[in-house]
Amino acid sequence: MLAGTLKAMTDEIRMLPKAYHDAVEHWQRHNFPEYPQLTERWQQYFPKDAEFCLCARLEKDMPTEIQVGDRKGQPKALAPKELDKEAAEQLLMIVRAQASTEFGSIQQHHGTFERANDPQDQTWVLRVMAEELRHGYQMIHLLTSADWSKWTDTKPQDMVEEILSMQTGSHVLAAFNLEYDSFGDSIAFAAFIDRVGKYQLTMQKVNTYAPMAASMPPMLREEAFHLAAGVIPMRRWMEAAARDRNATMDVPTIQKMCAKWYGRGLEMFGDERGGATNVKLGLKDLTNREAQDLYIAECGKMLDDINTRFVRARLAHLSRDDADKAYARIKDGKTVEGIRRDDLLRLPDRRFFRRRGEPAFQMIGHDGEQFTDVEEYIAHVLAHLPEAYRASIDVKHWIEMQRKVSRGEIELKKAINSMPRLARVGGACPCSKSVRWVMDVPEGTSGGGERLNP
Amino acid sequence: MADVRIRPVTELDIEAICRIDERITGKYRPDAWEDRVIYYIRRDPDSSQVAEIGGRVVGFMLGEVRGGEFGLEEPTGWVEFFGVLPDARDKGVGRSLIEALLARFKSQGAHVARTMVRSEDKDIDAFIRRNGFAPAPVTALEKRL
Repeated sequence: MLAGTLKAMTDEIRMLPKAYHDAVEHWQRHNFPEYPQLTERWQQYFPKDAEFCLCARLEKDMPTEIQVGDRKGQPKALAPKELDKEAAEQLLMIVRAQASTEFGSIQQHHGTFERANDPQDQTWVLRVMAEELRHGYQMIHLLTSADWSKWTDTKPQDMVEEILSMQTGSHVLAAFNLEYDSFGDSIAFAAFIDRVGKYQLTMQKVNTYAPMAASMPPMLREEAFHLAAGVIPMRRWMEAAARDRNATMDVPTIQKMCAKWYGRGLEMFGDERGGATNVKLGLKDLTNREAQDLYIAECGKMLDDINTRFVRARLAHLSRDDADKAYARIKDGKTVEGIRRDDLLRLPDRRFFRRRGEPAFQMIGHDGEQFTDVEEYIAHVLAHLPEAYRASIDVKHWIEMQRKVSRGEIELKKAINSMPRLARVGGACPCSKSVRWVMDVPEGTSGGGERLNP
Repeated sequence: MADVRIRPVTELDIEAICRIDERITGKYRPDAWEDRVIYYIRRDPDSSQVAEIGGRVVGFMLGEVRGGEFGLEEPTGWVEFFGVLPDARDKGVGRSLIEALLARFKSQGAHVARTMVRSEDKDIDAFIRRNGFAPAPVTALEKRL
């Protein structure tokens, strides 16, 4: 044992059967070529931390009885066949969506990884990517370590194939179909989108399917670092922006990143009116709106903290109490020593620039103002988004849908379900000699991976 | 005893920890606390704790289980940084924090917890002893360079 390291004592570690493990590693070579840098950078930046392991981790000593819903108090399902039909089908969708987010975020981070300005920030993102790969591996473990044939005709290798074939543009959730404009998006994504991930994982800790519930705590422990890897660089950007008006990341740039990601994060919770079925089935412990409300409050707290860093740096002569009072006044709309409300970060209205959920296409402005003219609204939204993103296919598609909805040329439901057509929408492995990610899976090998520490 | 809520530290506690540190030391050191908090979060986010009263963070305690240091092979729960706002003291905050930390250490396989206290910090020394710590058969040595 290295000085200062200690193996996790509460996790049971499992490996996927070779064909699936190989498929994930194969996917990594194409989508996450930075991965080999991890070992060297780990020694430099995380020398005392336990080594990274591409494996599934299951928390031991989890509750054995269902914690919420109609079957509360009954034993949790240890195998898919013990689930209700509706719960099993819903759970399969959740696992597929969760897996899509894990692999999808790596593809997004990869796009701007080399453009990082700060080696520490870049290494943090590298670790985040590796841990997302492990989370994807964890979801594949759930799909391939048990027999789901009672509830689906799709074979495990086909489920895995579908997940590994997704690319930016064909993932389940919109937030994972947006390409990054700069490395800064990696940071804003970690702060806003990984935060939704934290809520989803936390809600799923109660899951009625015991292996799903046991998968969550190890993922959550890693997710905690991902959030810090987003928030701390943002805090430091704001401090730099306060000291130097020509800083690389100025406040308007950061604010526009918030506007780009916040709405997509809200939509990841699902429609505000939904989620009760998941609670009823014992899959999650909060409805969509309940979870979204908590998320909004937390994002507000995050921006307050980040703004405080700015105020302390700009008004360094003030005491802590006076700086706190100054921030409260600025937040209230007053100008204090030249700092205005618009000079600091603020959360957009929860209905701003929404394409899914209750407020989809409602033409609500950044600060809650109501628009009646669609062209005015589009101009308003564009003014609040990053310049590079404005030119994206995603935004062009939104403009088209917003116009059609406003003019009554498309049903709201169709607009909500409409996805932009991107050039890269998935497919098999790009290797010339291969047409599938999952290779040579003989009959009967889809259950029970290797258990390393039973 | 006030209604104290103990929970694991998160990245959104950094500013509150800076505030507590500033109240105690008179210094605003956000970089230092950002580095420290992310260190503990990435190693074991369930170990380090904060205390809230009425939704306000009034205390924190950072630490983790490590093994193999100073020739001490056994897994050891190290209590390394803590602070309580002056106006929140004598309300059981420190005791609640250390109990939560020690419970987590135990669940992580540690059978011993250790810390070091500067000899001039009499209040901290008394607090630590009140919580069951006793002088250890280990001597802290130093050399000025």
